[in-house]
Amino acid sequence: MSAETLCEIENSYYSYQQLINLYANHKEEWFGDIDVNLYGWFSANSSSVLGAILTKFQNNLNTVRIFAEKSESILKRNGFLSHFGHSKAIDYNHTAIAYQVLSTEDDRYFNNYVFKEFISRPDLPVMTDALKRKLAESIYEIFINAKMHSQTEKIFVCGQFFPKKHKIIFTITDIGIGIKNVVNNRFGSNLSAIQAIEWAIQDKHTTKKDVSGGIGLALLHEFIKLNRGTVQIVSNEGFWELSHTGKVVRSFTNEFPGTMVNISVCTNDANQYMLSKEVTDDIF
Amino acid sequence: MDTIKLSIFSIVGDSFCVAAEDGEKVFKQIRMGIEKNKKITLSFQNVEMLTTAFLNTAIGKLYGEYDEKTVKKHMSVEDMDSSDKLRLKRVIDTAKVYYANPNQLEDSIKTIMEED
Repeated sequence: MSAETLCEIENSYYSYQQLINLYANHKEEWFGDIDVNLYGWFSANSSSVLGAILTKFQNNLNTVRIFAEKSESILKRNGFLSHFGHSKAIDYNHTAIAYQVLSTEDDRYFNNYVFKEFISRPDLPVMTDALKRKLAESIYEIFINAKMHSQTEKIFVCGQFFPKKHKIIFTITDIGIGIKNVVNNRFGSNLSAIQAIEWAIQDKHTTKKDVSGGIGLALLHEFIKLNRGTVQIVSNEGFWELSHTGKVVRSFTNEFPGTMVNISVCTNDANQYMLSKEVTDDIF
Repeated sequence: MDTIKLSIFSIVGDSFCVAAEDGEKVFKQIRMGIEKNKKITLSFQNVEMLTTAFLNTAIGKLYGEYDEKTVKKHMSVEDMDSSDKLRLKRVIDTAKVYYANPNQLEDSIKTIMEED
């Protein structure tokens, strides 16, 4: 039996390092019992990252138990703890965006999820239609990127509303080979995780063969800049963050087993998102 | 030249047109139309969500098969809002650059490697 404690998990480099350490400590373990204690704050959207790591442990036929005190209520309301032997609770606060585990073939199911959690939801914070659409488009672009490129079997999604802070945070995690390996396998290169992330977010950069692309992450990048939100990417040993205060890149000790994209979007944003360029009919 | 209308919604069977595989279905129908020398109007009626991955495969790929003049002669769109038109325009501009020089991606990687 091994017990691990995660302390004050929020959307920060240090929190991701704790999660990566958890993975590193048990990635070779089979048929064991792994207890995870969540001490203090646990940012609900991080269920996506923790769920991805714990699923890797479960794939090795380990028994995983979670002990959450302060965060038990929200992690029951967003459905995360129900994947680890706890009961589910009703979200009376209406701030949870459900934890879901999807397979890469679950496009239609993901459509229903986005529709239910973002588009048709009456308790969503007040947002302009343009922003709501931009948010949904961004979520799709990230999901499709994970599905097409990462070679993952599962995709883990979760979010959270912060009505008083006028913020939505949403996280999509895969347990694929990571951006570094996708790029290096495609081009026979030897880029570091950070170099590969920086290359991948540039406009028109794609690893697809015979099909153009590389617009999805660039659009996300541009949207978050205009919205004054934050985007974080954790992939292999790389951490990349862009917010209105600037860009941060750092390396982790040990590797994350896949890729996580986390977006924090300001909901009180009145940008129209399509007036910056003249719309033309001369498309082709 | 005869004009035919292709409904994206009907081809995909859903108002969420997000997956590249669905884009491939649209691409095949467009290609069939062009091969038969038809003018094609792509209708986006009832489409609620589009991704660039879908548009790259459905429309961007045409520039890998035909020159720009041919695509322009055969293609038009309708029932598409301004936001989606901008998105499609960006997909097409990217496709034109990509198919004009498919090696540019390798070159961009080499540049990073050389800087190290």
